[in-house]
Order: sequence, then structure tokens, then C-alpha cells
Amino acid sequence: MIDAELLKGLPPAEAERVLALGKRLLLTAGAELFHLGDAAGSLYLVARGRVRLTLPMQVRHHEEDILVEECSSGQTVGWSALIPPHRFTLTAAVPLETEVIALGREALNAYFAAHPDTGYAVSVNLASVIGQRLQLFQAMWLREVQRMVESRCA
Amino acid sequence: MEMLLMGAALAMFGLAVSCLAFGAATHEEPVMEQEPALGKEAVKAAAVNARFFAAVPALPVAAANRVPIEALLLQIENHVRLEQAAAACFLESPSADVLHGRTISPLVN
Repeated sequence: MIDAELLKGLPPAEAERVLALGKRLLLTAGAELFHLGDAAGSLYLVARGRVRLTLPMQVRHHEEDILVEECSSGQTVGWSALIPPHRFTLTAAVPLETEVIALGREALNAYFAAHPDTGYAVSVNLASVIGQRLQLFQAMWLREVQRMVESRCA
Repeated sequence: MEMLLMGAALAMFGLAVSCLAFGAATHEEPVMEQEPALGKEAVKAAAVNARFFAAVPALPVAAANRVPIEALLLQIENHVRLEQAAAACFLESPSADVLHGRTISPLVN
């Protein structure tokens, strides 16, 4: 069983039951898992391999996908599936053969409705994942602002 | 007698050549004597600026435009990774100094 950040704190048997709701997907190197703006119906647990999350950026008048974050085994990508308006805000692709477990929103919601303790634990873990990323990018953003201020006021 | 004189002359010539060679080998350059402080400062500055795996000189704009797009994208990716690592350090031990700590990214240096 994978050591998923989303299932932290759940008894192993319960974590297995949540994982059993999902479907294993094997992605070949270079495959795209989801695209910016797509409807987000599933979130993904990385079982092995790596997922690159990118955003488009203009580089020399060409649109290029720029790495924003990289997720490896145990990490969660695509939490937009559980958070309205259920649209992916990044593009996810795999640089090497990668296996993910796709957990559909409807299956998860139905399970959590029947098992609220599990739903609560997963929600707390999801909030923790989102909170950590928010803090990380908040710090990155402030570093960029600091540099902009230094360059403008130099 | 002639042979003796010739041998002596050759010996003197050899000695003179040896003396000249020794003198040239042990002669110190006067310029080096005059600028030792400047040389040491330059070495010191170079040592301060040098970083293993990170001595990336800043490119002028014209040169930067000639950097292949693939190399530029790698630089951007490297920059993002360094920034994430710096931000993660801040989250581990939050302080103003850590938040604004410098990285070795050539995009901002």
C-alpha cells in the first residue's frame, strides 16, 4: 500500500478501502494526466514515478509550460476535483513512467457520506496539503516582490 | 699546450653559460614585486566569488538572447526549484532573514 499524505491517520484497513474506490492508471513518459482548465472529476494519488505540474508562460514569444511543482510517490495531485468549481488550475504530465490512483469525486463523496469519520480525516489531510502549498507559494511570491522592489528602487 | 688552452677556454665558456642560465632562472620579476597587494586582492575576490557548481557568470542581454530556448527553460526550472527550496526553508524556520535568503539562481544574480 502507498503511504499517501491524503490518507494519513487512517487505520490501514480503512485506507485500503478508500484506495479500493480508485482506479490504477499507468502513464507512459510524457503522458498528460490533466490539462489546465479541464473539468476535474478525479484526484490522483501518485503510487510511483513523478508528476510535473506546470503553468503556461510566454518565453521569447512562445508559450511554454513552466514547472510550478513536482509531486512524487505518496503525494496528491488534482485536489480541484474535491474543491469547487472543479476545474484544474494546472497542467499535469509525467516525465517518466508513472502510476497513479485516480479517485473519482462522486465515489469519494458517497463513501465519505457513509463514513463521516473517514471523510473528516481526509478533509483535514487535504486542508493540510492545500495549506502547505499556499504557504510555500506565498513565500515564493513575496521573494519575487522583494526582488522587484529592489530592482525598481535600486 | 694549445689543447690545454682550448679546454680551458671551453670550460670558462661553459661556466659563463651556466651562470647566465642560473641567473635567468632565479631572477624575480620587478613587476610582481611592485603589485603583490593587487594580485592577492584579485585572488581573494575570485575565491570569494567562486562557488563549487555555481560559478555562473551573468550574461549580457545580447548574449542572453543567444542562449538556446531549451537552456533558458532549464534555467527557469532550476530557478523555480531553488525558490521552492528557499521557501520550504522559510516554512521550517520562519524568519525575515530566511525568507529573503539569496539563492544561486543565475536568473536573479
